[in-house]
Amino acid sequence: MILRKALRLPLVLVVVTFLSFLLLNLLPGDPALQILGGSATEEARAQLRAQLGLDDPLFARYASWLGGLLTGDLGTSYVTSIPVLDALADRLPVTLELLVAAELLALALAVPLAVAAARRAGGAIDQGLTTLSFGLLSTPVFVLGVVLILVFAVKLKALPATGWTDFSVDPYWNLLSVLLPAVTLAAGQLAVYSRLLRTDLIATLQEDYITLARARGLSPRRILWRHALRPSAISLITAIGLNMGALIGGTVIVETLFGLPGVGRLIVESIFARDYLTVQGGVVLISVGYVLVNFAVDLVYAAVDPRIRRA
Amino acid sequence: MPRRAALRRLGWGFWASAAWVVLLVLAAALADLLPLHPYDRTLAGPPQSGPSPAHPFGTDGLGRDMLSRVVYGARVSLGVGIGAVLLGLLIGAPFGLVAGYRGRLTDAVIMSVNDIALAFPALVFALAVVAFAGASMRNVLIVLGVLGVPAWTRLIRGATMAFAGREFVTAARALGARDRRILWREIVPNVALPASSYAFIGMAVAVVAEGGLAFLGLSVQPPTPTWGGLINEGRNIMETAPHVVLAPSLVLFVTVLAFNLVGDRLRALTDVREIGLEPGRRRAALPPLPAAEHDVEPALLQVADLRTHFETARGTVRAVDGVSFALNRGRTLAIVGESGSGKSMLIRSILGLLPAAGVRRGGKVYLEGREIGDLEPEDLREILGTRFAAVFQDPMTALNPVRTIGAQVMEPLRVHLKLTRAAARARAADLLASVGIPDPVRMLKRYPHQLSGGMRQRVTIAMALSCDPDVLFADEPTTALDVTVQDQVLRLIHRQREERDMAMVLVSHDLAVVAQWADEVIVMYGGKVVERGPAAALFEHTRMPYTEALLQAIPALSDPSHKRLRVIQGRPPDLAAPPAGCRFQPRCPYARERCASEEPPLVRAETRDHLYACWYPLGTEAAAAEEAEIIEGTESRGR
Repeated sequence: MILRKALRLPLVLVVVTFLSFLLLNLLPGDPALQILGGSATEEARAQLRAQLGLDDPLFARYASWLGGLLTGDLGTSYVTSIPVLDALADRLPVTLELLVAAELLALALAVPLAVAAARRAGGAIDQGLTTLSFGLLSTPVFVLGVVLILVFAVKLKALPATGWTDFSVDPYWNLLSVLLPAVTLAAGQLAVYSRLLRTDLIATLQEDYITLARARGLSPRRILWRHALRPSAISLITAIGLNMGALIGGTVIVETLFGLPGVGRLIVESIFARDYLTVQGGVVLISVGYVLVNFAVDLVYAAVDPRIRRA
Repeated sequence: MPRRAALRRLGWGFWASAAWVVLLVLAAALADLLPLHPYDRTLAGPPQSGPSPAHPFGTDGLGRDMLSRVVYGARVSLGVGIGAVLLGLLIGAPFGLVAGYRGRLTDAVIMSVNDIALAFPALVFALAVVAFAGASMRNVLIVLGVLGVPAWTRLIRGATMAFAGREFVTAARALGARDRRILWREIVPNVALPASSYAFIGMAVAVVAEGGLAFLGLSVQPPTPTWGGLINEGRNIMETAPHVVLAPSLVLFVTVLAFNLVGDRLRALTDVREIGLEPGRRRAALPPLPAAEHDVEPALLQVADLRTHFETARGTVRAVDGVSFALNRGRTLAIVGESGSGKSMLIRSILGLLPAAGVRRGGKVYLEGREIGDLEPEDLREILGTRFAAVFQDPMTALNPVRTIGAQVMEPLRVHLKLTRAAARARAADLLASVGIPDPVRMLKRYPHQLSGGMRQRVTIAMALSCDPDVLFADEPTTALDVTVQDQVLRLIHRQREERDMAMVLVSHDLAVVAQWADEVIVMYGGKVVERGPAAALFEHTRMPYTEALLQAIPALSDPSHKRLRVIQGRPPDLAAPPAGCRFQPRCPYARERCASEEPPLVRAETRDHLYACWYPLGTEAAAAEEAEIIEGTESRGR
């Protein structure tokens, strides 16, 4: 299975980058006009067209663009005159910190909740978790974020509503500024993870080896955490990878809502600034990152389930 | 009426949600006819004023009526939600149907493409496409619709596959029905339920996605209101007029919740019940069944009038129905019977390993004269860990697939005997060696899937023996193994029983095995003991016709190859509705009138400790008296 995925990885990357590349072709009319704006001279536009290779055949253009991508050259923004790669590199740490914080928060809450719910399926905790995750799943990121800002920043004045303090500047304020955005992002993941793990745990609990563990006089706590959790975690791990897509989509909204200087907000700002090369660069970065994360997740399987190692 | 029952099972949440969706669709469609302020008229009321009779949702920063703006915003949200789902279904369903129905190469190709399509961060792509192609309702709808295609293909394919293999489709194919006809007549109706369930969930996803784009300013442009856009506008005046952001937020939340709930309830129609490790609700534990009067014997293990009944939709299933026995150290008790006779359930009942819900228990279990049923959980676990031990039928499922052999064998030693890690490791290696596993130290690092079935069963035996138990429960320990390995494993268990002076309860349906190893035998039929006694007496002076039938069903190696296997006619009884009188009576060749009306009690035979439950036991005068007229014309009865 791992080998098949490894063989597929380059193919997926080619498709993903090709589609990102095609985005520029969606621009209605002359891309050069769109990029440079109406005031640009005809010579400037012709020069840009030549530079972007817009007059070349599609695949030749893709090949040269991909070549640039592989050497770290994503072009230079015509709006800010900053190399796209530098702009992205500048913003990436914020987005990564946000993603990691949200993921950790979601897992730290989801796993114990799922274990408690599965222990007494249909019981009070289980039903409470079902209701909670249903509510969280039905709450769009921007709605939850707005409500959290309203409660914790506007009413209670306990946390900053917007803005970002870098970790190197002040670790404490950094944590405070990442807290609300991370909670906002984590909520949906928490719902997905806990439901999924709960259901798989309940299925695992019907296995013979669990009955035998009970026959050996082991405590329910030990059986759940040591015996049932790991065999039940496969779907959860898959979900962590697949949900990364939703999570990254969420960062775009959360960064805008909370005013965090991350990649997502850079993309949105660039859209409104008609800085198309930066948008394209951001999309490539996110897509490729997403594909690679999912591939890494497949590698994690093997660590969790020894049966897969041999396959 | 199953259909009506299904509708009732949907619950009130479903109907409330469906009502909200209908209401919203009507309001959005008929917004122009409703007595609403125009959504774009500024100063319809004082700016940022809270909810009032004139403006139920208040007004926004420009004094526009929020209710009207939310209702018109629903047009975009619902339009995109419903439109995107239909578009995704329209493109995805044909691919899914073909992949699921054709299978093989078609399936492989479609699903590989699909997997690649799923490997996209959908929202970021939607955002980029809309950014480049222009923010309009049409573009948003198309992008979200197309991004939904892979999920649709996957879902429809899965549902189709589940039905494409069913009997009625295979039959239709065999009868030469055309594929197109089969797809439309047989498969599409069956796929409709999962598809309609997912349609609602997909609408929730699309509405949220559109909301996100609108929030970023990348959906339909002002002055047309959108929910996401309203929330974005409202958050700037959150401190002074929170209702402006809360009103659309609440409506959006309720709408998404409603779509999800409708979808979830539809999906739940096909769900099965789930059972956890312990009872879900304390109340759910059913009161115990009354136990018959009995004396407590000085035996190692005594089981008195043990009963296990399951409350099911079909009624009470009496899986174990009044079983008593006593067992001493150094003895092997065999429990025999067909599948479903309650043998395994008896073991699980003694060990307290019953499912968490829907069980009624009765009777007592004594260990050295002490009742274990009312012990605290910790004390009971201590007994389970150190005095009782169990080996199950299938070694393939008896070991945890993701833990090493070492971790599993060492665990009871660490938990119950409180050994250090090093001591437990040494002891585990000794245990593995004692059950005949070569190179035990290396074995500790391996995983169950690296072992053969016989080796795995040896490991489970080693685990069972690890804390020096007094009673070993072996539930068909060799049934799942190769014939060549079966005898080795039985010998191993028997030797260990002798060396450790344990008592053993051996469950088996194989009377040849029982005759070879057991000291005492219990024959179970339909959850009840029908014959019980010392092995020799029971086999030589069989009284119960069921035992005789079991004995005759053993094929002997000395039989000529053309000899027909004797089987017991009929089926084991339905334990939810057992036959009246003797439970074996419908299948019994000797049954008479009395057998169908009165249940025979367990009575004592001449031989000591030999009990049976039969009105006309074999080899006695009661049977002989009428024997001639009953079995006239049939072959000789043997014993």
